[in-house]
Amino acid sequence: MNRLLTTSLALALAAATTPAFAQSDTITLGAAVQLSGANANTGRYYRDAYQFTIDKINEKGGIQVGGKTYKFALKLYDSQSNEDLGMRQYVQLITQDKVSFLLGPFSSGDAMKDTSMAEKYEMVMVQGGGAAREIFTRNYKFIFGTLPPADNYFASTIDMIQKLEPKAKTVALVAADDSFDVSVAKGTREILKKTSLELVADQQYRENNADFSSILTLVKSKSPDVILWSGHPQEGINFVRQQKSLDVNAKILTSMTVGVPTADFRTALGADANYVYGMTPWLPNPQLKDKWFGDAAQFAKAYQDKFGYAPDYHAASAAADVETFAYALPAAGSLDQAKVRDAIAKVDFQSLYSHVKFDEVGQVSIPQTVIQIQNGKVVDVYTDKVLNKPIYPVPPWNKR
Amino acid sequence: MTKSLPGLLLAASIAVVLATVPWWNNAVLLQFGINAVQLAVMAQAWNIIGGYTGSPSFGNSTFYGLGTYGTAITMVQFHQSFGLGLGVGALLAVIVALLVGIPILRLRGPYFAIATLGLAATVGAIFANLPIAGENIGLVLPLTRDEPLFYELSLGVLVLVTLTVLFIDRSRFGLGLIAIREDEDAAAVTGVNTTLFKVTALAISAFFTALVGGIHAYWITFVDPSSSFDPRLNVNMVIMAVFGGPGTVLGPVVGAFILSTISEVLASSISTAASLLFGIVIVLAVLFMPKGLVDLGYGFRRLGWRYFTETVRQYRL
Amino acid sequence: MLLMQILLNGILLGGLYGLMALGMGLVWGVLNIVNLAHGAFIMMGGYAVYFLYTSAGIDPFAALPIAMLAMFLFGFAVQYGILNFIVRSALLNTLLITFGFDVVLTYVAQLLFSADLRTINPPYAGSNFGVLGLTVPVVRLGVFGVALGLALGLWLLLRMTRLGRAIRATAQNLIAARLYGVDPRLLYAVTFGLGAALAGAAGGLFGLVSQISPYVGATLTAKSFVIAIIGGLQNPLGAILGGIFIGIAEATSALYLSPTLVDVISFGLLVVILVTRPASSFRAA
Repeated sequence: MNRLLTTSLALALAAATTPAFAQSDTITLGAAVQLSGANANTGRYYRDAYQFTIDKINEKGGIQVGGKTYKFALKLYDSQSNEDLGMRQYVQLITQDKVSFLLGPFSSGDAMKDTSMAEKYEMVMVQGGGAAREIFTRNYKFIFGTLPPADNYFASTIDMIQKLEPKAKTVALVAADDSFDVSVAKGTREILKKTSLELVADQQYRENNADFSSILTLVKSKSPDVILWSGHPQEGINFVRQQKSLDVNAKILTSMTVGVPTADFRTALGADANYVYGMTPWLPNPQLKDKWFGDAAQFAKAYQDKFGYAPDYHAASAAADVETFAYALPAAGSLDQAKVRDAIAKVDFQSLYSHVKFDEVGQVSIPQTVIQIQNGKVVDVYTDKVLNKPIYPVPPWNKR
Repeated sequence: MTKSLPGLLLAASIAVVLATVPWWNNAVLLQFGINAVQLAVMAQAWNIIGGYTGSPSFGNSTFYGLGTYGTAITMVQFHQSFGLGLGVGALLAVIVALLVGIPILRLRGPYFAIATLGLAATVGAIFANLPIAGENIGLVLPLTRDEPLFYELSLGVLVLVTLTVLFIDRSRFGLGLIAIREDEDAAAVTGVNTTLFKVTALAISAFFTALVGGIHAYWITFVDPSSSFDPRLNVNMVIMAVFGGPGTVLGPVVGAFILSTISEVLASSISTAASLLFGIVIVLAVLFMPKGLVDLGYGFRRLGWRYFTETVRQYRL
Repeated sequence: MLLMQILLNGILLGGLYGLMALGMGLVWGVLNIVNLAHGAFIMMGGYAVYFLYTSAGIDPFAALPIAMLAMFLFGFAVQYGILNFIVRSALLNTLLITFGFDVVLTYVAQLLFSADLRTINPPYAGSNFGVLGLTVPVVRLGVFGVALGLALGLWLLLRMTRLGRAIRATAQNLIAARLYGVDPRLLYAVTFGLGAALAGAAGGLFGLVSQISPYVGATLTAKSFVIAIIGGLQNPLGAILGGIFIGIAEATSALYLSPTLVDVISFGLLVVILVTRPASSFRAA
């Protein structure tokens, strides 16, 4: 009896003196990202940026929702660049892992399918990897995206072409046949219709087909002033190489929707990468202020220091996705899917990525900055006005 | 090999148990189940043309894809019901099987295999260029959340196709197919109408494969050429059928379930090394049990461990 | 003029396609093994030449023999150590086991080399010269030349050397060949090794005109299939012709039809040819 009393007293004392940890609750964000396989090179931006942003927000105290403090956690699966596997992993995240909300994969193809699963189970997803307009025009309620619409990718470039001398007259358009690039091509044709530029070649190629010789030969025969190209970064590299080996020159410039901002592009092509135009919705510009990272330049430096490679717009977009939740959840005051969904539809904040505000179908609208590779460096040359001097027109191959 | 009554009763009771899965309240298991059952159907359908008839088709994905697109186009472009969509998909596949089967089935062995491979790639590429099919982007089907429906439907098709195979196994039609497989010329000489038999087998195979394709399309709410005509599907269904035992009634189903489980377990636990281990499993399986799991089952009972050495001795150079 | 350039493009690329098919056709015709990992062998050869070029600075064309030797040894080991044990089982089994190899090799490549795309970019990569108003890329011409040379070399080997005669004898009649003292296990291994070496060469050349990643294998296997059958499994030069045929077909269809129909063309042609060729020109399955 005595022993029992002392033991219980001891236990009670122990319990009383145990420091009460300020337990913060966790909001888990889930995603299936391409960590291996063909798209792993871009997938890694998402994995690293998601984790980086979550860590930063947690470091600064997390967020407050309905009076309680929450920290974020990340649950990630490797979709192995397999769209079907990714879809099943999203279902697993929703139904088995019971995550709170979803983040997206890279690429419109994956995003199209994964967002269907999210919508099916009525869980909010903010994805930063799919730009195709079709993702958003399906009347889905729970899906938001931080990449600007594919149809508008060439808008700033075409704007620039119309303002600079010598005046361009003819355009050749070459695009792949996957959802993102078809979107780009459709949109570009619409934009061109409103200008005085003439579309003299309009070629679609099978994605993953590495040989452009026929298309390039055809394009060469039309002597276009401008070549606009849209596809996957790896194909872009091929395109430029084959352009050179077949001596195909655009009289004024060649511009590509993807690949140009990346270091891979310049490493693979060496000096041949010079003069190519590209675009990016984001540059690590100190004018882009951010609540957690300070500004985009600081984000880029911290990211590079931590991961050993420079972030590009994919990483920035991914960071913005996490921040969207960080702004919307406190505003919603609850973790209920419908309330959060409504809160996200209304957010309006400044981040290291850009000013984030979603339109009526859930997509953001950010203009592309036109960039050019000059002397092995990426130079931003145009948004709606000239920033740095572009090399225009571009010298032909035999004069370099 | 005909199955005895106890074997059939066992299979039937397992089917009944499987039918109750939606009520086990495990959503991930249900997802996995739908996938596994659909693969089992495809393996079993392949069994009819590849296992019994001996014509190794590497193009059943054609019929699967036709099933998906038939259903999708009917539902999306013409706003008809799911049932009608399934019917259209299956009909499309059977028609193509009949039309294409007649010239292609004249080819033997690897040439037939390659021709079917070519067929799959060609039909896939055709759909990637058809506006009504959404070209390379595909079509989005109406969203519905009835997972148990998809599961039970798929299971129903599996039961149907297995019963069909059972029927074939016991019928003169089946005997004819086996005769064609063993020695086509001899079969022709003894009066078997080889063309008729082979084309019929292909059509039946196409029918079931397309049904599963249609169900899959509505379930996933999305069709596009690369996933509908995915070449990996072909290899998967062939591997599962061969792993389990081609030319047997339950072999392909068993093979499909076992390999699906292994693959899923690997994918969710070791994730990245999953494909490596899967590849190794295949290599080892072919080396040590080239006649499939069912044959291993019988053979092991008879010979014990010597089964493996006997098999290797039989097939080595 | 446009057409002439397209034809030239098609021919030059076609030579490479033919070389790819060469290895597969040899193994298929002699050993009756359809190697679904052929594309993976091509990929391995590509990486070999890539690393020889980027780490050791050896010119890609000069690195080819080294890569070929390495692939020969690899292929020899695979045949002797694994495939020889199931060679006499159903064709389907060789298909499956080689598929298993393909999966494993692709995975290992991704593990070792990552999914990054590698380009073999020697300084002369973009050079070209004009002749008769056509632009001839130097590298593609070189690739074509090597492909042709290797095909010729294989043809001479098969026709003129003892080894070649032994290989042909084994292809015709294994039992009779045994009676003549041919050790089939060694011979099979040598043949498979040769097939792998040719695939390796094709890979190195492929890296010069396109990019290497662990995943290029699958499409290349399919293409090699198509060309091996079209060109016939008996004659190496037939494979080259088959390759050129497909190369021209692809290039012209991209121009006149649509680049997205290229796959339809190659496979469609394949099916048509298979179905319309007289049965007697096929080796009994």
